[in-house]
Amino acid sequence: MKKLKILLAEDDFATRKFMLKFLEKYGEVDVTVDGMEAVDAFLMSLEDEEPYDLVCLDVMMPVMDGYQALMGIRNIEKQRNIAQEDMVKVIMTTALNDERNVKKAFELGCTVYSGKPLNVDKFEEVLTKLGLI
Amino acid sequence: MSDLLNMELLDEDKDAQKGRYMTFKSGNEYFAIGIQYVDEIIQFQKITVVPETADYIKGLINIRGKIVPVIDVSLRFKQPPFEYNERTCIIVINVKSTVVGLIVERIAEVVTIEEENILPPPSLGRTDKDSNKFVYGIGKVGDSVKLMLDPDKLLHDEDVNAVDQASTYTEAEE
Amino acid sequence: MSEEFNTEGMLDMYLLENGQLLESLQETVLNQKDAECFDEDAINEIFRTMHTIKGSSGIMMFDNVTKIAHKLEDIFYYLRESKPDNVPHLELVSYVLDVADFISAEMDKIRDGNEPDGDPTKMIGKLDDFLKQIKHEITKDDKKELPPENVYVAPNQFYIAPVSSNESRFYQIIITFRPDTQMSNIRAYSAVYALKEIAEDMIYYPEDIVSNENSAEIILRHGFRMLLQAQASQEEIRPMIDTCADIEKIDIREVTSDGFLNSDFLKPIEIDLDSPIEEVERKAAETEQEEEPNKKAKDVAPGDYVIQSKEPGKAKQLNKNKPAKASKQSFISVNVEKMDELMDLIGELVIAEAVVLQNPDLKVPGLELQNFQKAARQLSKISADLQDVIMSMRMMPLTTTFQKMNRIVFDASRKLEKDIELEVIGENTEVDKNIIEHISDPLMHLIRNAVDHGIETPAERAAAGKRDKGKVTLLAKNEGGKVWITVQDNGAGMDRSKILKKARKNGLLGNKNPETMTDKEVYQFITYPGFSTNETVTEFSGRGVGMDVVVKNIQTIGGTLDIDSIPGEGSTMTMKIPLTLAIIDGIVMETAGSYFVVETGIVKSFVNAREDMMIHEPDGEEYIMIREECYPVIRLGEYFSLTNEKIAVEDGMMVLIELEEKTICILVDKLLGEQEIVVKPIPQYIKKVRGLSGCTQLGDGSIALILDPASLIG
Repeated sequence: MKKLKILLAEDDFATRKFMLKFLEKYGEVDVTVDGMEAVDAFLMSLEDEEPYDLVCLDVMMPVMDGYQALMGIRNIEKQRNIAQEDMVKVIMTTALNDERNVKKAFELGCTVYSGKPLNVDKFEEVLTKLGLI
Repeated sequence: MSDLLNMELLDEDKDAQKGRYMTFKSGNEYFAIGIQYVDEIIQFQKITVVPETADYIKGLINIRGKIVPVIDVSLRFKQPPFEYNERTCIIVINVKSTVVGLIVERIAEVVTIEEENILPPPSLGRTDKDSNKFVYGIGKVGDSVKLMLDPDKLLHDEDVNAVDQASTYTEAEE
Repeated sequence: MSEEFNTEGMLDMYLLENGQLLESLQETVLNQKDAECFDEDAINEIFRTMHTIKGSSGIMMFDNVTKIAHKLEDIFYYLRESKPDNVPHLELVSYVLDVADFISAEMDKIRDGNEPDGDPTKMIGKLDDFLKQIKHEITKDDKKELPPENVYVAPNQFYIAPVSSNESRFYQIIITFRPDTQMSNIRAYSAVYALKEIAEDMIYYPEDIVSNENSAEIILRHGFRMLLQAQASQEEIRPMIDTCADIEKIDIREVTSDGFLNSDFLKPIEIDLDSPIEEVERKAAETEQEEEPNKKAKDVAPGDYVIQSKEPGKAKQLNKNKPAKASKQSFISVNVEKMDELMDLIGELVIAEAVVLQNPDLKVPGLELQNFQKAARQLSKISADLQDVIMSMRMMPLTTTFQKMNRIVFDASRKLEKDIELEVIGENTEVDKNIIEHISDPLMHLIRNAVDHGIETPAERAAAGKRDKGKVTLLAKNEGGKVWITVQDNGAGMDRSKILKKARKNGLLGNKNPETMTDKEVYQFITYPGFSTNETVTEFSGRGVGMDVVVKNIQTIGGTLDIDSIPGEGSTMTMKIPLTLAIIDGIVMETAGSYFVVETGIVKSFVNAREDMMIHEPDGEEYIMIREECYPVIRLGEYFSLTNEKIAVEDGMMVLIELEEKTICILVDKLLGEQEIVVKPIPQYIKKVRGLSGCTQLGDGSIALILDPASLIG
């Protein structure tokens, strides 16, 4: 199995620890604690030509929230003319699973929207569907 | 919400109720029933007879708009019947949401019986009747002895004979 | 549908929307089942419905639903693009219904928190074959070309529902520290810290416990308050917090998720005693206004969820504390239990009213009661209005129940290869919710009977010279305070001699003379246990449940079944059921010291009997002759073994009751009057007593038993 390059943005320590442990199975995980850092990290990876395969964004974060970070990431990709199919897969995790929240996330180009607490089995299933594992 | 609150209070009370028993006299025996099952004790009141029921089911009473069946405990135990008068009391119990009034000969006090003072009923090889153990043990309070009632079995078990069981236990105790 | 279904917004929406789509799809399909083929609108609707379900199921990763919806979408894609002729319409109708059933079943599983694990492979195989047939139809004459493939675009966005959020429990926690506790804020934080392990969500007050020393004082005064969402029991939570000796008391109270979200629990109540009243009111008005904009639902925008200041110790905003949902709604949904509770309370009120208005204290002679009577009339009016309102709240149209019958007629007529149409009239008629639950089964049975036994096969119909199609009419209407539901068929009707023969064979005739029996009396035989004129048991109506069970079901809700038939033209079954079960008009009677009630509607008359009207059979049976008719007499006191004494008939009162064409006479000691009766069940602890259907409380607090006329007569 190919090792993935993953970016995790999560401000809550406990969740971060849990997610990190879970995601480390699939590859190398970079951790940021707010949306701004996540966009920075994403940009940096493109500069270094080692783009991420997967970005996990919490919705509620300081400085920039998950929606802003997602928008930032998609804008950067657009600006760099990255093709639709090569765009990074973004998974948003949050307890805000109101329909409006989910729709907005999809509009902004989120790939997977996952409620919290995380359903680990479904998460793996999605990674398979996305061709990541 | 208020229900939740009440539930909670009951739950809390349950701790305090542990080991507390309501006792009453029926025939020559004293019986004890866990206080957590007792809803209230009311004065004897007019009973509406329901036809074609077991003899110990005396009928229905109206407790503040709630219609509750009442049973005569001594008849339930196949003890000789007694006369009801204005001093006769009804113990209203609630067992797994079944509310039933127990007509008893005389209410005694509320006592505390520690778990270690409740002895298991002696097995006297009466296996056929053991399934009807509505008296699950014998509680010692000072010098006196109370027969510990399992209220669920009291209400639902078919055909019990308390006096038989009771005397067996008391004999065994002696 | 389970009431306490979780608060998962996205999944709820999926189930709700697709559920509605499927319902309207089923209606469309059944409406056009008898057409040559689906019209364009229907094809479009089915295509769109399947497309939507496919899309949303794809996102939710319910793969089996996605697959089958896609396959059906495919079929309707070709129908829409090429409009082929000769599509086997009925076959298609049943495929659509099968798919709808499959998806509904999967959605039920999801609703119950299970995985949708149904296997659609077999059904997809059938649909595939059907699709091939259609494609063949399109191309066979070389007239048309196949349209471009209906390309399946796999979803590229997914939604993962959180794990069993419905198992989350919600708690209000108050920790009270001893008044002399030092640094209670830090001790409070250790509780927060301990709970973080299990908390799915948590907020607390005061918020700034770590950084603000002053919070210690607030904690000592008001206690430290937390709202906790976790999948843990109270027993698990308590020891996690109860770790230090300074804690005096821990109050943990479980609340509902609604109570959790809307709670003012965290804000300690502050009473402003110093400001003048105007000031206080002004402030209150201001806060209300401030809160107003929050109540409007706004769209989510990036940046909405930035956590503004992440100072140490600052609690995060509660995730679930989202802005209140959408604008004004003219409907709210109410828990059925609460409705029942309200109904009970109103019942109590009706009784309490009677207690007051008929109070013996008022009967003191010479009392001046004018004002009292005036006030009493006002009270009676209000309580009557209140009753009407709650009754109307409980009323539901029969529409849904009747719609189910559509499907039953369709399925049954297909299997039996009969061509039958169902006509529905008056489905908007309203009935108490309680009753609706009880009529579904008997109605289904009557409909099946009509389809199976009533309507003949096409061959038989042709032989009988009947040109029209088999037809079942389902009709509901209000009539004399009752609802009549009629199931009528235009089939062969019932055969009097066949029924009589069977009745004789089964020993049901007794000493009755068949010659003098009316048709209706003969038809009544089919409601006897174990009676069935059909020699062969068919899949549809002969599942061992006969008309006797139907009648029993109808009787338990105080209804009756009327049977009529015209040979060669069909049969008519009419259920007459009360509008409500909860409050009835009843006659109160006394016998042997006990009170009994009989429903006013079935009482034909009261008769002061004389001994010379009585006929005594040697076996003890008694009859009474009234206007040259002879009726059996039941002495109620003896019937219920309340007394052995035979009162002289002159001292009692005969009550004639009539039910299903049968009349009997009940002898009671005396009549007490007519009144509204709030029906209550006899407590379950007392097993069912023959002859009684319930009990009630009278104005003076005593209890009366409600007679079950069906079992008295039967």
